[in-house]
Amino acid sequence: MTSSKSTTLSRSLDRVFRGVLGLLAAVSGGMVLLIVSYLVTGAWPAIEAGRLAAFFTDERWQPGSARDPQFGVVSMLVGSLLVTLLAVGLATPVGVASAVFHRFYAPPVLERWNRRMLELLIGVPAVVFGFWGLMTVVPLIVRLAPETPGQSLLAGGIVLALMILPIVTLTTQAALQAVPRAQLLAAAGLGLGRARTIWAVALPAARGGIGAGVLLSLARAIGETMAVVLVCGNIPQIPDSLFDPIRPVTSTIALEMGYATASHKALLFCAGLVLVLFTAVFVGWHSFRRQMADTGTGGA
Amino acid sequence: MNSVNDSTETESIARLSVTSLTVRYGDLVAVRDVTLAFPDGRITALVGPSGCGKSSFLHSLNRLTDLIPGCRVTGGIRLFDGTDIAHPRADVLALRRRIGIVFQRPNPFPQSIRRNFEIPLREHGWHRRDIPDKMETVLRQVGLWKEVSDRLHKSAVALSGGQQQRLCLARALALDPEVILFDEPCSALDPIASGVVEDLIHSLRDRLTVAIVTHNLAQARRIADHVAVFWHRDGAGQLIESGPAGRVLAAPSDPDAMSYLGGMRG
Amino acid sequence: MSFSADSSTRTATRSGWADRAFGFAGGAAAFLTAGLFGWIVWDLIRLGWPHLSWSFFTGEVEDAGRQGGVGPLLISSVLILVCCLVPAVPLGVGCALWLSECVRRGSLTARLVTGGVDLLASVPSIVFGLFGMVFFCQKLGMGFSILSGGLTLAGMILPILVRTTLTALESLPADLRPAAAALGLTRTTSIVRILLPAAMPGIVVGVTLGIGRALSETAALLFTSGYSVRWPESIHDSGRALSVHIYDLALNVANGGPMASSTALVLLALILIINAAAVMLSERWMRRRYHPEA
Ligand SMILES: Nc1ncnc2c1ncn2[C@@H]1O[C@H](COP(=O)(O)OP(=O)(O)O)[C@@H](O)[C@H]1O
Ligand SMILES: [Mg+2]
Repeated sequence: MTSSKSTTLSRSLDRVFRGVLGLLAAVSGGMVLLIVSYLVTGAWPAIEAGRLAAFFTDERWQPGSARDPQFGVVSMLVGSLLVTLLAVGLATPVGVASAVFHRFYAPPVLERWNRRMLELLIGVPAVVFGFWGLMTVVPLIVRLAPETPGQSLLAGGIVLALMILPIVTLTTQAALQAVPRAQLLAAAGLGLGRARTIWAVALPAARGGIGAGVLLSLARAIGETMAVVLVCGNIPQIPDSLFDPIRPVTSTIALEMGYATASHKALLFCAGLVLVLFTAVFVGWHSFRRQMADTGTGGA
Repeated sequence: MNSVNDSTETESIARLSVTSLTVRYGDLVAVRDVTLAFPDGRITALVGPSGCGKSSFLHSLNRLTDLIPGCRVTGGIRLFDGTDIAHPRADVLALRRRIGIVFQRPNPFPQSIRRNFEIPLREHGWHRRDIPDKMETVLRQVGLWKEVSDRLHKSAVALSGGQQQRLCLARALALDPEVILFDEPCSALDPIASGVVEDLIHSLRDRLTVAIVTHNLAQARRIADHVAVFWHRDGAGQLIESGPAGRVLAAPSDPDAMSYLGGMRG
Repeated sequence: MSFSADSSTRTATRSGWADRAFGFAGGAAAFLTAGLFGWIVWDLIRLGWPHLSWSFFTGEVEDAGRQGGVGPLLISSVLILVCCLVPAVPLGVGCALWLSECVRRGSLTARLVTGGVDLLASVPSIVFGLFGMVFFCQKLGMGFSILSGGLTLAGMILPILVRTTLTALESLPADLRPAAAALGLTRTTSIVRILLPAAMPGIVVGVTLGIGRALSETAALLFTSGYSVRWPESIHDSGRALSVHIYDLALNVANGGPMASSTALVLLALILIINAAAVMLSERWMRRRYHPEA
C-alpha cells in the first residue's frame, strides 16, 4: 500500500515545504535589514556631502532657507530625550504603585478587571491620545500658566506618559506575579509586614522585569510621533522650562517630509536613522538578554 | 499484506533483532551495548527500574530518537526481511508505519476521532473511500466501536483516559504494523482501564510482534512470552538478563535481576 | 499570565503606617489611571457623539472634513487592512512555524531571525513610513496608494504575528510531535494537519491584535497611502485612513475639532471592540486548554 515512490514524493514535498517556511522566516528576519538599507540609501546624499557634521554643529534647523541653510538637529534630539524622560518619569511611579496595589491590596476581581482594561488601553491609537491632549491638556496648561502657548514639553510629557502607562503597569504586574511564591511565604514566615514584604522582597525580586518594561516603554516613547506632534508646539529649540514648546525628531519628519526636497529630504532620513539606532540599542539589548535567558540554563 | 500468522510456530524466527545498540544523549549513555531479538508473534516485556534506559531503547527501535537533538544511536537494528533500520538513509517514515508505538500518556490529536485516522492513513497512501472500513475494523478490535461510533466527529481529547489510550492503539493498528511498541501503556490509567488495555495487548499475540515496557511485574508475568531485564550499571543502562518469561521471572541468574524480580515470589 | 494572584499575600500581616501609606499611594495611582482613561473616553463621547449619524458613516468628506462623513475613509481603511494582512499573515505564521518546527532553539540561524524580528518590532512607525515611501511608493513604483500603505503596515504587525504564533505553538502539548512522528507522518503533514489547527486559536488572537495595531497606525501611513478623501476605486488609488483623518483635522483644519472627535470616537470604539475580542478569545482559549472537555 505504501509504494516507495509515494514516500520519495512526499519527502521531496517535505523539503519544498520546509524551504518555503525558511524563506518566509528569512524575509521576516531580514526585513529590518531592508529597512535600514533603504534608510541609508535615502540618507546617503547627506552623508556623502559631509552634512552629518552640520547635524551636530549647526545651531539652528532651517533647512529650507535659501540664504542661510542650517541643519542643527541637537535641539530636536534634546527635545525628544526630554519629553521621553519626562513621560517615563511620570508614568513609572504611577504604574508601579498601581501594579503593587492591584497585586497586594486589591481583591482579585479588581485586579483581573484592571488587567483587562489595561490590555484594551494598550491599543488606543496614539493619534487619539494626541488629539485628546490638544483638546484637553493644552487648554488646562494655558489656564495654569496663562502667559504660555500651552503646547509645550509638559503637554507632550503628560500625553506620552498616559500612552505608556498601561505598558509600565502591565509589565510590572507580570513581574510581580512571577516572584516565586516561596519567597513571599518565606517573608510571611519571618513575620514581615505587608509593606516590608513589598519593599524588601517583592520589588527587588521583580526589579529585572520592571526595568525591562520601563526600557520598552522608553523605546516606544522616543519613537512616538502622533502623541507629540499635536501637543508640543513644534518649535525646534532647547526649552528653558516645562512650558516652552519643543519639537521632537519624529515630529520634524512627520511635518516636513511632505514637502522636503533633495538635501533636506536626505537629512530627514538621517534623522530617521538616528531614531532607529536609538531604539535598536534598547530593544536589541532586551532581545539579546531574553534569548540568553531562553537558551541558558533552561531548567528553572 | 503480512502473512505472519503462518510462521508463529517457529519460535526461533526474530521479527526484529538488535545488536550492540547504544543510545547516548550528549555525554550521557542512556543504554549501552544491548543485543536482543524480538521473536515473531510473541510478546517481549522490558522491565527494570526507572532511568535505566528502557524508553530510550524502545524509542530507538523506530527512530523516534531522531527527534531529540543531541541523541546518538549506534549499533544494528534489523527487521527480519533485512531492512536496516539504523541506516542513516533508511526510509524512516515507511519504517515507522511498519513499527508502531503507543506511549505512556495517551496522545490523540486534538481533533475529531475520524481525523485521527484519516491523517495517518491518507499520509500512507490509503484511498479516502477505504478509510471508514479500516477505521471501523480497528476500533472494533480495541472494543471502542460501540462507544464512539455515534460520535466520530467529536473531539478525541474529550474521551476518557482509557478510551484515548485504546484510540491510540487503534490508530497505530490501522497502519498494519508488523511490530508494535508499548512504553508503559497502562501506567497513566486507572486499574479497570489498565486491565482492558492489557487484555488488548495480549490479544495481539500471534498476529503481531509486541515489545512492552512495564513496571508492573505481575503484568509481565500475565502477558509476556519473553522478558528482558534492564539495569543501571557502570554509569549506563544495560541489559542484564533475557529469556523466556517463565525462566527469567522464576529463576533469574543475575543477582540484581534476582533481587529486583524477588517481589514476584511470595 | 493567567494565574490569579496568591491570596495569602493579600491577607499578610498588615500593620503600621507604612502599610497604610503604601495602600493609599497605590490606590491613588490605580484610581488616577482609571480616572484619566475614563476622562479621555468621556471627552470623546461628549464632543463626538452629537455628530454621529448614519450619514456620517456613509457620507463623503465635505469642506475639508468640517462637514459630511467618513464613508470613503472607512472603505480605504478596510482596503489598507486587507493589503496589510494578505502578506503579513503567511509571513508571520510561516516564520513562527520555521522557528518552532524546523530549527533548533538557540541555533545561530534561529537567533538571527528572532533578533531580526525583535528589532523590527522596535522600529518607530514614522521610520516605517519613510521606508514605505522610498521602497514601495518609489522603488517599486506603487505611488501613494492603499497598496503601499498596507504593505508598510504589514511590516509593522509582522512581529506581533510571529510572537503570538510562536507562543501558541510552544504551548501545545509536547507529545503531539512524537505522536505524529510515530505514525510516520512527514513534517509537512504534521505541521499542516495537526500543529497548525491546534495552534489556530492563538493565531487568531495574534491576527486580531495585528488588526487593532494596523487600524490605529497613523505615522506610517502619512507618506505611503496618502491623503485622498475620494472613494477608492482600487488598491492603487491613494486613500486616507481614519487615523490620518483625525491627524489632518486636528493639525491642518481650523474648527476641525468636532468632526475629529467623532472620527476618534468611531476609531476608538472599533479598536476597543477588536481588542476586547482578542482578550476574550485568548482567555477562553486558556480555559479550554486546561479543561479540554468543552
Ligand atoms: N531527551 C533526553 N535528553 C537527555 N537525557 C535523557 C533524555 N531522555 C532520557 N534521558 C536520560 O536517559 C536515561 C534513561 O532514560 P529512559 O530511557 O527514560 O529510562 P526509563 O524509561 O528506563 O525510565 C535517564 O538517565 C534519563 O535522564
Ligand atoms: Mg520510561
